[in-house]
Amino acid sequence: MKLSSLFTIFIALLLCAAPASLLAAKVGEAAPDFTGTASNGKTYHLSDYRGKYLVLEWHNNGCPYVRKQYNSGNMQRLEKQWTGQGVVWFTILSSAAGKQGYVTASEENDYMAKMQAAPTAALLDPTGDIGHLYDAKTSPHMFVINPQSVVIYDGAIDDKPTTDLSDVPGATNYVSLALEQAMAGKQVATAATRPYGCSVKYSDSH
Amino acid sequence: MLLCAASALANGTPIPHGTLELVAEDQWLDKQGLDKQKIAAGCTFDVGLHFQLEKGWHIYWINPGDSGEPPRVEWQLPTGVSAGAIEWPTPRRLDSGSIVDYGYEDAVLLIVPMRADSSLAAQQIAHLAAEVKLLVCSHEMCIPGKAQLSLALPIKSQPPATDTRTTDGPTDGPTNDLFAATRRSLPGPAPRAWKFIVSDAKDSFVLTANIGHQITQAVFFPLVESQIENAAPQKLQTSAAGFQLTLRKSNQLLKPIARLQGVLVLSSNLSSSNLLDNSAGYLIDVPVTGRAETRSTITK
Repeated sequence: MKLSSLFTIFIALLLCAAPASLLAAKVGEAAPDFTGTASNGKTYHLSDYRGKYLVLEWHNNGCPYVRKQYNSGNMQRLEKQWTGQGVVWFTILSSAAGKQGYVTASEENDYMAKMQAAPTAALLDPTGDIGHLYDAKTSPHMFVINPQSVVIYDGAIDDKPTTDLSDVPGATNYVSLALEQAMAGKQVATAATRPYGCSVKYSDSH
Repeated sequence: MLLCAASALANGTPIPHGTLELVAEDQWLDKQGLDKQKIAAGCTFDVGLHFQLEKGWHIYWINPGDSGEPPRVEWQLPTGVSAGAIEWPTPRRLDSGSIVDYGYEDAVLLIVPMRADSSLAAQQIAHLAAEVKLLVCSHEMCIPGKAQLSLALPIKSQPPATDTRTTDGPTDGPTNDLFAATRRSLPGPAPRAWKFIVSDAKDSFVLTANIGHQITQAVFFPLVESQIENAAPQKLQTSAAGFQLTLRKSNQLLKPIARLQGVLVLSSNLSSSNLLDNSAGYLIDVPVTGRAETRSTITK
């Protein structure tokens, strides 16, 4: 066996053995790259979007915290507002097959049409690979990445960790604040919060 | 002196996958009639939110961990009655792989201390009401719920016959047992002779405890969210006089913290598989010292 393949195996073992959060995305550090297949059939590489701001939104359409954002129209409004300003917005679905929030590509497309959702794309991640890479805990867990590909926000969508629709209008939205502050050349004041919501329904075998 | 008394609803109010009932202890309840009931005004008395859940479902501790949220109570109380804070029993670690929550399965009583004052004099019956908002989850899904609860407190102007706060009250009954068992599951202060140090060690907090004896198991429940990585293994090193517990910092913790607060559950018995069911735990609140004390136990 060649040394290089031994080395590859060694690295692969290391990656398998390392706890997810040691590799996970962290504020101030480089955003881990990934390749995702979207419900629209296209393949997206995070690294293709260097030079742009990115938002990652963990999604589960059955989760009451997600429903609060979508039934109030708040998440769609944010998607339209920020993609309209050149931000790339990935909705990421890490529910495993058979678990709450798992959908096929066509079901996700139907859902987005019905809800008038407008992310750049919805990435289907039933293996949980992207979710574990970012150590996504909840739906909706949100990340903001700057044009230098550095994570500048990791946490909740807003400061009202409830399922009440009535809490949406008065909430301080951390994703918008991070984008506004970063685009104005300022330091993001609140760069990490507890990502409230439902636990991400990962595959048991991961 | 004034007295008041309580009577409970016979049945719980439905919540998703369970029931919730506002209850008081048996000594405040009288199955024969209201006239024998007595809770002193100017006194304190406990009521409880009794959650009973179907198998596989849970509610959350004050720090819910990685997901979920604790029950929230809005009291509607008559003038002269005020509610204290919920007394949270030691929770369980609800582990679903990379996500760890803190909460209660099966059944739990959340005791709320109440205070009655003399302004209750003119009232015959004080009605306590509470709106509880909660999230009930299984490992598969979460369902929000809301319940309107009430409890009637007849008020008497006789002196109280007994101390209203004793764990073994004047009467024995199922509700008394429930309150007594719950009080035993509340975390209490650690013995004064025990010494704790928490050092900030880059990626971890290291809790060093000198407790004068050897333990075999230790679990720490952080009172404040997003301080430690809930799903990370809590690495235990024991010695004859105590132990060291390494707690990995949360990804969301970007600033130093002044204190580490939480509940520490210890066991000296290796065969005790039900560590969390048998031990109430100790409330600890320890200042965090600087990185100078970095230990060799830290792993990157």
